[in-house]
Amino acid sequence: MHNKLTVAIAAAMCSTALMAVPSLADQARPQVCLVMKSLANEFFKDMSIGAEEYAKSRGDFDLKMVGMQSETDFDAQVNAVDTCIAEKKDIIVLAPADSRAMVGPVKRAVDAGVTVVNFDVALDEEAKKAAGLDLAFVGPDNAAGAKEAGDALAKALGNGGKVVILEGNPGADNGIQRKAGFEQSIKDNGLELLDSRTAHWETEEANTVFTTMLTAHPDLQGVMAANDSMALGVVKAIDAAGMSGKIQVVGFDNIPAVSALVKEGKVLATVDQFGRDLASNAIDLGIKSFKDGKPLEGWVKTPIELVTKDNVK
Amino acid sequence: MTEMTAKRSPMAAISGVMRNAGIAVALVLLILVFSLTTTTFLTPLNLTNIMVQITLNIILAAGMTFVILIGGIDLSVGSVMALAGVVGATFVSNPELPTWLAILGMIVASCGVGAIAGTINGLISAWWAIPSFIVTLGMLNMARGGALQFTQANTVYIANPAITKFGTATVAGIPVLFLVAVAIIILGWFVLNKTVFGRMLYAIGNNEEAVRLAGHNTLFYKTAAFAICGLGAGIAAIMYMARLTSASPIMGNGYELNAIAAVIIGGTSLAGGRGSMIGTLLGAAVIGVLGNGLILIGASDFVRQIITGAVIILAVILDAVQGRLAAKRKGA
Repeated sequence: MHNKLTVAIAAAMCSTALMAVPSLADQARPQVCLVMKSLANEFFKDMSIGAEEYAKSRGDFDLKMVGMQSETDFDAQVNAVDTCIAEKKDIIVLAPADSRAMVGPVKRAVDAGVTVVNFDVALDEEAKKAAGLDLAFVGPDNAAGAKEAGDALAKALGNGGKVVILEGNPGADNGIQRKAGFEQSIKDNGLELLDSRTAHWETEEANTVFTTMLTAHPDLQGVMAANDSMALGVVKAIDAAGMSGKIQVVGFDNIPAVSALVKEGKVLATVDQFGRDLASNAIDLGIKSFKDGKPLEGWVKTPIELVTKDNVK
Repeated sequence: MTEMTAKRSPMAAISGVMRNAGIAVALVLLILVFSLTTTTFLTPLNLTNIMVQITLNIILAAGMTFVILIGGIDLSVGSVMALAGVVGATFVSNPELPTWLAILGMIVASCGVGAIAGTINGLISAWWAIPSFIVTLGMLNMARGGALQFTQANTVYIANPAITKFGTATVAGIPVLFLVAVAIIILGWFVLNKTVFGRMLYAIGNNEEAVRLAGHNTLFYKTAAFAICGLGAGIAAIMYMARLTSASPIMGNGYELNAIAAVIIGGTSLAGGRGSMIGTLLGAAVIGVLGNGLILIGASDFVRQIITGAVIILAVILDAVQGRLAAKRKGA
């Protein structure tokens, strides 16, 4: 599955490179509005850098980027979408802060004739149906990624391995999907889940929560952390307990701080969802759909890759 | 705010001790409950784990005690801790610096950033007589934004072995991080109780106008209280880096509320003028023991949050009842 995705994305990139030359001609440049979540998050920061570079290298559309102060500040995101509609942008590329609350503003945009691309986190199916909105989703399969990480852990531990999960923010869609992926892997591989708790994506809280989980379950063998910041805290807790090498950790996001730990073998695996390319892929699809007048359909999956000692950079 | 509280008297001092006794009873009760309901709570390993886990909150709350005693509040400590951390991390994570310089640079930078942010908070709120709530709310955003801008939202990984050693060191089985926190509490207790400076802070909390009319420079004392609080955030940042060998611009998010809770549970009055450092230590311990014990008994995250909130309210009620009883006894 990986390879197919990689090929698809490579093809997409080649076609983009080819498109760059003719479209420099001075025709109507599509006006793109990129609305993201918190730029305080490494993932989105990276994404915004990627989008900026993409806009510069391609040069045939105008990009306006909007980020928010915090992950949960969807009020500001609603305002951002409404502003883009008012400015008569052609395309809105949106990473929803809330999969239900953002359906209303998106419907307004679509009704106003704006091409909307929903990426990163999918809008809620039922809410879309209720609003009479039919919209594709462009993004990674968080559950599949988490399952791959979980499977890597299961392979290292063997059947019956005892694991715990560190969840993201309760209610965050990507956190829910990653937890679901972990749970699926636990079920498929016959692992035993001892405990599952949130550490709100955060290193220090993960350290505290995991240390206490280890006290409650001294026999635990593996940890599935829903992001790498939490994996960092877990690794420190394992070091402090003198259990290095005895407890395996998998994370998610492939942040630079974790690469070193993957090399050292302290983190078994993490998942890269190529955040830097995510926004540019979505923008590319949006421009295509806008120019052809053909709406996107279903779930356009973007690549994910399991990062282990063998392929870490 | 300040006129609501009575002037400090020997009677108030005794009631202060009684207040600590109230929170100590609550702590002992919690420990008893978790010791009886789990086999893992009352083990040396778990107890030392709790000590490490409450270090940050003790240090932040110690600084917060100074500010709350003068009738102020500092909402920026969590963010200032993040800014102090990421600035300090540029030194300690730099492999080209010799170890002593990397460590010294981190200490000076983190403490410096914390103290400067605190001084700005204090100067602005004292000079223009603006409620510190709003000034520090502004600082909360500035420091968080500063930390994000400084790192471009990246987590800094610290591979310096010296700081790892410090973070995991123990003396007679007690984590050094915790000993540092206790030393800060003792130092804070000394400053508040045995120095003119400390007594002046209590006096300002009770009746700032009287202190000013007596010819004292209240601007200096108030600014100093905030500077100390900021310094605490800088020290907490160093403790964070020592424990987690990383610094993130989003670290310390919401920690100001835990610190305030520890101070208030510890019996310090939000109106200022009354409270103690020992109470703050006990308050931080109550929050830490509760968080730890509820995981050990297997309470779900959501139940844990509900119970933690309820205990904060219960502790404050217990404290109020205790204070009233003590006052009645002496009144009779």
